[in-house]
Amino acid sequence: MNAIEVRELKKSYPKKIPLPLRRVEWIEAVKGISFEVKKGELFGLLGPNGAGKTTTIKMLTTLLEPTGGEAKILGYDIKRDAREIRKRINLVAEGERTLYWRLSAYENLKYFSRIYYVPKNKEKGRIEELLKLVGLWERRNDLVMGFSRGMKQRLAIAKALINDPEVLFLDEPTLGLDVQSALFVREFIKKLVEEHKKTVLLTTHYMAEAEELCDRIAIIDHGKIIALDTPEGLKRMITDEDAVEIKVKDFAPSKLERSPFRMAVVKEDASTNMLLLRGQVVEEELPKLVEWLVRRGAKILSVEQKEPTLEDVFIKLTGRAIRD
Amino acid sequence: MLAVMEKELRMFFRYPLRVVSSIIVGIVFLVQFIFFGQAVLGGRYSSMLAASTGMGDYPTYALIGYVLWWLFTSPIEAYIFGIRRELQRGTLEINMLAPLRTIKFLIGLSLGWILIDNVLMGVVFLFGVCLFKIPLSWGIILKAVPIFMLAFVAFLGFGMIFAGLVMLFKNIGALGQIFEFLVMFLSGVFFPLNVMPYWVRAVGNAIPLTHAINIVRGVFVGKSYAEMASSLQALLLLSTAYWLISYGIFRWAEKITRVVGYGGY
Ligand SMILES: Nc1ncnc2c1ncn2[C@@H]1O[C@H](COP(=O)(O)OP(=O)(O)OP(=O)(O)O)[C@@H](O)[C@H]1O
Ligand SMILES: [Mg+2]
Repeated sequence: MNAIEVRELKKSYPKKIPLPLRRVEWIEAVKGISFEVKKGELFGLLGPNGAGKTTTIKMLTTLLEPTGGEAKILGYDIKRDAREIRKRINLVAEGERTLYWRLSAYENLKYFSRIYYVPKNKEKGRIEELLKLVGLWERRNDLVMGFSRGMKQRLAIAKALINDPEVLFLDEPTLGLDVQSALFVREFIKKLVEEHKKTVLLTTHYMAEAEELCDRIAIIDHGKIIALDTPEGLKRMITDEDAVEIKVKDFAPSKLERSPFRMAVVKEDASTNMLLLRGQVVEEELPKLVEWLVRRGAKILSVEQKEPTLEDVFIKLTGRAIRD
Repeated sequence: MLAVMEKELRMFFRYPLRVVSSIIVGIVFLVQFIFFGQAVLGGRYSSMLAASTGMGDYPTYALIGYVLWWLFTSPIEAYIFGIRRELQRGTLEINMLAPLRTIKFLIGLSLGWILIDNVLMGVVFLFGVCLFKIPLSWGIILKAVPIFMLAFVAFLGFGMIFAGLVMLFKNIGALGQIFEFLVMFLSGVFFPLNVMPYWVRAVGNAIPLTHAINIVRGVFVGKSYAEMASSLQALLLLSTAYWLISYGIFRWAEKITRVVGYGGY
């Protein structure tokens, strides 16, 4: 059985509170997406800012009412069986304001175990186990306020496991974390799937993270899934061509829109007026591309060939790069 | 539900100074009004007041009104500020995610504050009793307590209207306060309603506080429950009506919030 089934799911946000008799405009955030996640799978939603990742997660976790389409979590309908779903899932929400800062780590978990109706006789043991698992047992009595960003995120993950959920949703779990904390979180997610047999759906806009963690990835852009496959499968879309990175100076990126080449800006340094362009170009075309750039006033600083990554898949599909 | 309340209390008592300041504000407010009232009436006892309300002792009259008004406003404030705090902390959504029912979460959220608030009220009341030498007997207390409890149930339902409104419109703290002070005049907290125009009295009668005050004042001058049956009936009726109305409003607000998103600041 599939853990998650999504069919033509849509979401529009009203620009104003939709009171009766009030005409409001609606913004389409998710425009009909469909996918399935198998039990025990680690599934990724990869996309740039504003792609609709958080919106999708909020609909699947019953926090938002979909505008159209349907979805089932563990066989339960997200519109009709919200309570059944809430008992069996959990979420690590985006950002760091997902815990009570004025409570200690222990008090936070105790509070959540109560509102998740964890049986009283299991409560103590579960909290201890979780705090040890995320390495915060020694700091259990400290207020969350004094925790680092990484520690807060680890506690948020512990909180998300308090009801021993079958399906876990993670929204940008490593966003804003230092390298070491991000590493811990990624290893932890892998362990959850491999050892604890959880089904995980995570969102990210880090290519490398999606590639490293996920069994399958749906690339989402402007509220639509534009590709869905295993990381290898996605990269196979582009292996016939090479990826090229070109460093240029004094070039207006807007000119790329009318170019015959699919190049995207991956880095921009306003102070030195430098751009890093990336795209797929077959070897014979490379001189033409360089000439095209030079004729539009660009100074070429370097040209490098690269191993294709998921970034190139996205550039190929959209002509843009995913950036922070 | 109790867990939600416990957590609120825990966080509250990490800032104990607020307790002291609330008590002082409460006392200053009360004392000011009673002295002002006495100045206008030209003394503690007013035959005009006695004729129109059956209770001539102004400090007793005002203290009862004030304490019940406090009881009335505390659920309103508790709902408004309880939800606003959750919105500001950005933690409303993770609570909505849990299988705990929203209505239980809200009541738990407000009960903590109501409890603290009413302990403060008790302190101010006792202070008022001592300062103005209010005649108080065990008989009166025993007879007033059930009325307070009944009134509180009604007020809790009434206040929930605001819970729905905050979820939708987020920042309605000022609106809530304006409403609370308006009620002070509509329900005859410090002045008898009789001096008000007809329509004010009509609106006042739709507010449960008005009836609760009438009954408790009656208890203080020694009336029996039977003599005040019409006020009791009105209180019961309004209590039921407001629970139904506010629950309806709340469900509607919740539905729209799920379309808009719980959001925060
Ligand atoms: N509560 C809201 N009200 C109105 N519009 C919203 C709301 N939340 C999101 N949007 C809009 O919906 C679109 C999708 O947003 P969403 O947060 O789902 O994107 P995302 O993929 O999670 O992006 P990010 O990487 O920034 O987290 C955006 O255009 C955003 O502006
Ligand atoms: Mg997001």
